[in-house]
Amino acid sequence: MRVGIAAVFISLAVAVPAAAAPQDVANDISQNIMSPFCPGVTLHDCPSDSAVALRDRITEWAEDGLTRAQIMDRLILEYGDTIRAEPPRSGSGLVAWLLPVLAALGAAGITWKLLRRWAHGPETPGGSGPDVHVTPADRRRLDAELDKLRGPA
Amino acid sequence: MTSLAGLGGPSLVAALGFSLAALVLCVVGAIRNSDSFTSAGRRAVGMSFGFTALAAVALVTALFAHDFSLEYVAKYSSLSLSGPYTLGAFWGGMEGSLLFWTVLLTGFSTIALERARADNPRLIAWAGAVLAGVSVFFLMLLVLPASPFATLSPVPADGSGLNPLLQSPGMMIHPPLLYTGFVAFSIPFAFAMAALLSKRLDAGWFTSTRRWTLFAWSALSIGIVLGGAWAYTELGWGGYWAWDPVENASFMPWLTATAFLHSVVIQEKRQMLKIWNVSLILMTYALAIFGTFLTRSGILSSIHTFTEGPIGKWFLPFLALMLLGGIGIVLARLNELRSVNRFDSLMSRESAFLANNVLFVAAAFTVLWGTVYPIFAEVTTGVRLSVGPPFFNSVFIPLGLAIIGLTGIGPLISWKRMSKGAFGRIVRVPLAIGVVVITTLFALGVRSVGALIAFGLCAFTSAAIVSEFARGSRVHRTRNTVGPVRALTMTISRNRRRYGGYVVHLGVVLIVIGLAGAAFRTERHALLDEGDSMQVGSYTLTYADRTQTTTDEKQMNVAAIEVSSDSEPIGTLYPQRNFHLAQGQPQSEVAIRTGPVEDLYVVITSFDADGAAALRAFVNPLTWWIWVGAAIMLGGMAILLSSPSPARVSARVRSEFREPAAAAR
Repeated sequence: MRVGIAAVFISLAVAVPAAAAPQDVANDISQNIMSPFCPGVTLHDCPSDSAVALRDRITEWAEDGLTRAQIMDRLILEYGDTIRAEPPRSGSGLVAWLLPVLAALGAAGITWKLLRRWAHGPETPGGSGPDVHVTPADRRRLDAELDKLRGPA
Repeated sequence: MTSLAGLGGPSLVAALGFSLAALVLCVVGAIRNSDSFTSAGRRAVGMSFGFTALAAVALVTALFAHDFSLEYVAKYSSLSLSGPYTLGAFWGGMEGSLLFWTVLLTGFSTIALERARADNPRLIAWAGAVLAGVSVFFLMLLVLPASPFATLSPVPADGSGLNPLLQSPGMMIHPPLLYTGFVAFSIPFAFAMAALLSKRLDAGWFTSTRRWTLFAWSALSIGIVLGGAWAYTELGWGGYWAWDPVENASFMPWLTATAFLHSVVIQEKRQMLKIWNVSLILMTYALAIFGTFLTRSGILSSIHTFTEGPIGKWFLPFLALMLLGGIGIVLARLNELRSVNRFDSLMSRESAFLANNVLFVAAAFTVLWGTVYPIFAEVTTGVRLSVGPPFFNSVFIPLGLAIIGLTGIGPLISWKRMSKGAFGRIVRVPLAIGVVVITTLFALGVRSVGALIAFGLCAFTSAAIVSEFARGSRVHRTRNTVGPVRALTMTISRNRRRYGGYVVHLGVVLIVIGLAGAAFRTERHALLDEGDSMQVGSYTLTYADRTQTTTDEKQMNVAAIEVSSDSEPIGTLYPQRNFHLAQGQPQSEVAIRTGPVEDLYVVITSFDADGAAALRAFVNPLTWWIWVGAAIMLGGMAILLSSPSPARVSARVRSEFREPAAAAR
């Protein structure tokens, strides 16, 4: 089974996507830039008429054969760096990406250490309750009492 | 001004006075251990609720009476606004929503303190003081910078009306549910602080507030889903979640509250993680207040700018006081909070729960960090950077998928310890089902790695949950010789906490399946003259005609879009592009053909002068399952909420065993 799983994931990793239609390129770009017209919202999600016009311009650029990178460059030139919907993965923007990863890794590391220390530490005295031997008769009586307590199902 | 509206301002002042009195009386009651002071404090909380409710009635009456002498009424309602939305205007603006929050807070406080007299009388004094302290803050806002009873002169003949986007059925339920969730977390928070302040650190504080926590979490969950449904049906961009700061504000406390709901189980079962649990409820409530601050302060730009206001500077000191006070008291009680018990094995349900907790808190931190990073960057570098969906999707989705995986693993492992062999045996079938699903989807042409992992994990987790139901039912079938349906009913009803939780998990899995469907979304746009067609996915859309009508509120332009699939006509959709007269604002009404496989979603972004329609059409696979999953979650929540309160069960057990013992003596 392990070989099968590995084969699936290797196939996934090498799968090549088909060439995208201009509208798909435009949709993808509009989901990755903030709208200059609706604060806090991507261009894709912005309902304003100006946003519709900008989405149409991006589609035209894609139809003219511009690549995704060339279109992004044009947009950044026109609207500035804040149009990117994610911080840059270098310079001052790097901290935005690294901090969650470091925090998650740190938390996971501390949890792992704690769990190992606890698991190798002294046993819980008596587990979570007294060490009792339950006979079948006890078990039947307990079930009857619990059924009585819970009432009719 | 209507006579009742004239009572609004004085009622709020009276409510503030009673809350202040309650704060002082409860603190004195707690310090002196005096029942009479505590009782008086509890009654003062009730009086504060009475006056706050009176103020709320005054505002609602003024809205329905179109009393435009009140600035709030003039700003958020109009003569043409229909009845239900006039009620919605109560929480549609900042001042009204704060009043709504405060009514809930004082009302919930009154009920919780009254109920705690039977369940947990020793914590009432400090819990009352904390709750009264929070209501003092909100009432001060309502009396000073954010009064809903400020007057206007001259009085306008008509109001500006409610934002057209808020005029939808979803908005009648979504905000009240979010507020209900946020506010209801006040109760477990107050009792946790009371436990710390009074040094009564047993399980009492969370067993007596367990229903409140579940209620708050359920309301927040439904509120968040309804917010997504509102965005999907009203905003016209084909999606339901935009990682908008205000959406994040509701999601962060939901994440930590979910962690809390799981980790208290460990404290109940093993008397462990006491520090962690009080910290989680503190975090949850601080995030709920922080969310309100984000929404109300206008510190972050977002689509929810209609709620911007001048009260941000009031929130920061309150939030700081709450956090510093909370952390301070946790630190002061560290010795008393230390666990006696230890985890017995890494391979145990406790470990899985703890790992799940770490993931939930890491996810909450990630969302918080992404939300505040633009401010952080601006303060530290002077450059304002944007953090939008691509960032959140990149960092959140891996954490979310890991949580889904653990949701499947957790219930399969036993408490205390489980051998690797036993774990391997129990996990074998669900794991095989997950792998079969991934392989089948890949063979069918699915190439999105994220979606394949998501579907595989969902299959694994669903199989694990179903196997738990099957195992439970088998026991009942064998022991009671009943049919499968009866056995399933017995399984659920005899352990509603456990199986209610599994039903919620099943709902979450279906929601994730729906979310993963977004990886296969198709979107097309086109400018169509009457009779023209466009293609999206397997659908052909033909713009047949346009109908124009005008009402008192708006001018409506309805397009008839004939839909065919593989040359077979399958129906007509009627998207609208309307113009709201009072606000001078255009707005699109979406048309959706929904189903389990995919939604066809059509929106008109504009009509040009010649009547040509700019159409945006989406094919959204599996979105339907998000709403079905939410409905199943709701069913699970109902089962959970119907389970007997642990405090009441303990009391019944004690009384049942005490009576025979007394009789024997």
